[in-house]
Amino acid sequence: MTDSNSSLFGKFGRQRKLREQICAERERLYRIAWSWCHDSHLADDLVQETQARALAKINSLREESRLQVWLTQILANLYRDQFRRVQPETGLEAELLAASGGPEDATDRSQLIARTREAIERLKDDQRQVLTLVDIAEFSYADTAAILSVPVGTVMSRLSRARQRMREILEQQGIGRADVVPLRRPR
Amino acid sequence: MRSEDDLELNAYIDGELSPDQQAELLESMRSDPELARHASELGQLKAQLRLAYADPPKPQRQGVAKVGASWRAIAASFLLLGLGLVSGWVLHANAPGLGIQGDRFVVLDPAGRGQAPAITEEGETRIVFHLTNPDQTLAGELLDDVESMLAAYESDGRPLRIEVVGHSEGLSLLRERLSQHKERIHQLAGQYTNLTFVACQNTINRLKVERGIEVKLVPDAEVIDSGVSHVVKRQKEGWSYIRV
Repeated sequence: MTDSNSSLFGKFGRQRKLREQICAERERLYRIAWSWCHDSHLADDLVQETQARALAKINSLREESRLQVWLTQILANLYRDQFRRVQPETGLEAELLAASGGPEDATDRSQLIARTREAIERLKDDQRQVLTLVDIAEFSYADTAAILSVPVGTVMSRLSRARQRMREILEQQGIGRADVVPLRRPR
Repeated sequence: MRSEDDLELNAYIDGELSPDQQAELLESMRSDPELARHASELGQLKAQLRLAYADPPKPQRQGVAKVGASWRAIAASFLLLGLGLVSGWVLHANAPGLGIQGDRFVVLDPAGRGQAPAITEEGETRIVFHLTNPDQTLAGELLDDVESMLAAYESDGRPLRIEVVGHSEGLSLLRERLSQHKERIHQLAGQYTNLTFVACQNTINRLKVERGIEVKLVPDAEVIDSGVSHVVKRQKEGWSYIRV
């Protein structure tokens, strides 16, 4: 095998690895997208489009260790540019209600989940994005700032306001300090 | 509570404080129960959020999971396909694809052995590519390979027919709004009358019903009722079949 052939392998090998990693990020991206729009079809579209764009410009990724941030950045840009405006009004409530599972399944746990999602839904878009990126996707402040193209200070102040607002909403709903439901640790 | 304290507490539960800052804050919490309670509430909220989004509802849509699961294998097989055509090596793919053996194009069997593509009684080679992958880089590589093959057969004067069927996620190659290869498709379809691009009507209907999307196809795409029945029919007629 000549040198040029081995470099060809090297290039393709890297691309194949990256492609596999991009595919493996699907679930994580979907969780973020769904937490933003609460619409499974929309979230699925967002993720597919994100992956397609990422695959199309795979060579622009400089640091492979930044893959998750890079992908989430693409997702955030897509969400901002295309999908935020077309968000259907109806899908949301149906899915949130479905999460509570109806009267037969009105366990504390499923109620807590449904009410938390409802509270998230009532946040302003920019607060919701920061909160979900930090708490659900577990990005650092610096990465969250990079994903949303805002300064770290903005991330911190939005986060603080978002959590303050969440507590207000949850208390209005009746999940206050008094009736704390035991949490099972999510995966 | 002062807003600086609030920011610091948030940073604490998010693991953003340095060890020194943490130590200092823990010290303050010892003497300030209100601060400690606030920190624990923030921590509880964080856990509650993770729980609420640990298992988001998945879209009820046919075929999505399948595409996701097979993507890796498809990407791998296509990568090998691309490599083979670039380098002219015999390919050892673990998924069906196209390769070159000597100076001949071959269709790979699942074991990676090259098989001469099916030839009809009239001596015509026929290959149907079943594209179900949304990755337009792969689709671009497919077009490269299709073009190489068409050019090679044309220069040898050997008859060849190729169909590219866009189905499910693979329809995006043939959608006016999404396709990154519109000009390329137009150029190829104009240059080679033995190359056909075919779009699946079922997929188009599903996009309309499930997502409210009015699909507009690139001008060179023909429409057939069902991508799946079409490729099955082609295989029965003796075409070589390659899933992309």
